[in-house]
Amino acid sequence: MTPVHFAFSSTFMLGLAGLAFHRYHLLSALLCLEGMMLSLFIALSLWTLQLDSTTFSSSPMLLLAFSACEASAGLALLVATARTHGTDRLQSLNLLQC
Amino acid sequence: MTFIMYLVLFSFVLGLVAVASNPSPYFAALGLVVVAGMGCGVLVGHGGPFLSLVLFLIYLGGMLVVFAYSAALAAEPYPETWGSRPVVTYMVVYLAGVVLVSALFWGGWYESSWGSADELGEFSMFRGDMAGVALMYSAGGWMLVISAWVLLLTLFVVLELTRGLSRGALRAV
Repeated sequence: MTPVHFAFSSTFMLGLAGLAFHRYHLLSALLCLEGMMLSLFIALSLWTLQLDSTTFSSSPMLLLAFSACEASAGLALLVATARTHGTDRLQSLNLLQC
Repeated sequence: MTFIMYLVLFSFVLGLVAVASNPSPYFAALGLVVVAGMGCGVLVGHGGPFLSLVLFLIYLGGMLVVFAYSAALAAEPYPETWGSRPVVTYMVVYLAGVVLVSALFWGGWYESSWGSADELGEFSMFRGDMAGVALMYSAGGWMLVISAWVLLLTLFVVLELTRGLSRGALRAV
């Protein structure tokens, strides 16, 4: 394990811990998901660059496209939540269920 | 170069600690900007300038503008920065965890060795990652078609979710 591998593994685990432990804002959870996706992008790119297997280097681009899909769907959910509940706090989502 | 690489890696981890320690969304988006910039530095250090440029332009240019807009939507009157009490607690806990795990691996990793792509082609016009990404248009054409289809599908998902309360996928019952 090189320090670079340790860096992206620890960022992935930190993003996962932030997603699991903090549920105050919906946007905070989405940002933690984005951080996890970013560390996955770095991981796939490093796989390409360190092993010098350049035919693999289109896979980080495809991962970036799918990550854009995930981010836009999450932000649409955020907008929908702000329109129905007035805020994006997750505490208010299970309050006053109707 | 080794020192710069260690500095960039440390800032990369520190930026994600700043995102994960649950500050207000404005500051978390700022931390994500730092993480993306440092990730560009890591990729440049490994000899992938095209992937780094794609990350910088697409990620920082496209996604973070949208996140800033949504942070304005989810505004709160008393934002919590990294100076307030619970955020500082989480930051200290996360940093201590990272330092402990890195101390566990400290003897095992090969110190300051990283391989970079095209090590001998310093002055060449085409880097390896650029050629690899260009392969997406010839041999990986079906994956390009699939990802374009997924993006189109996501457009309809977003339009359906944000349509309104009267009709559509999400409505007031």
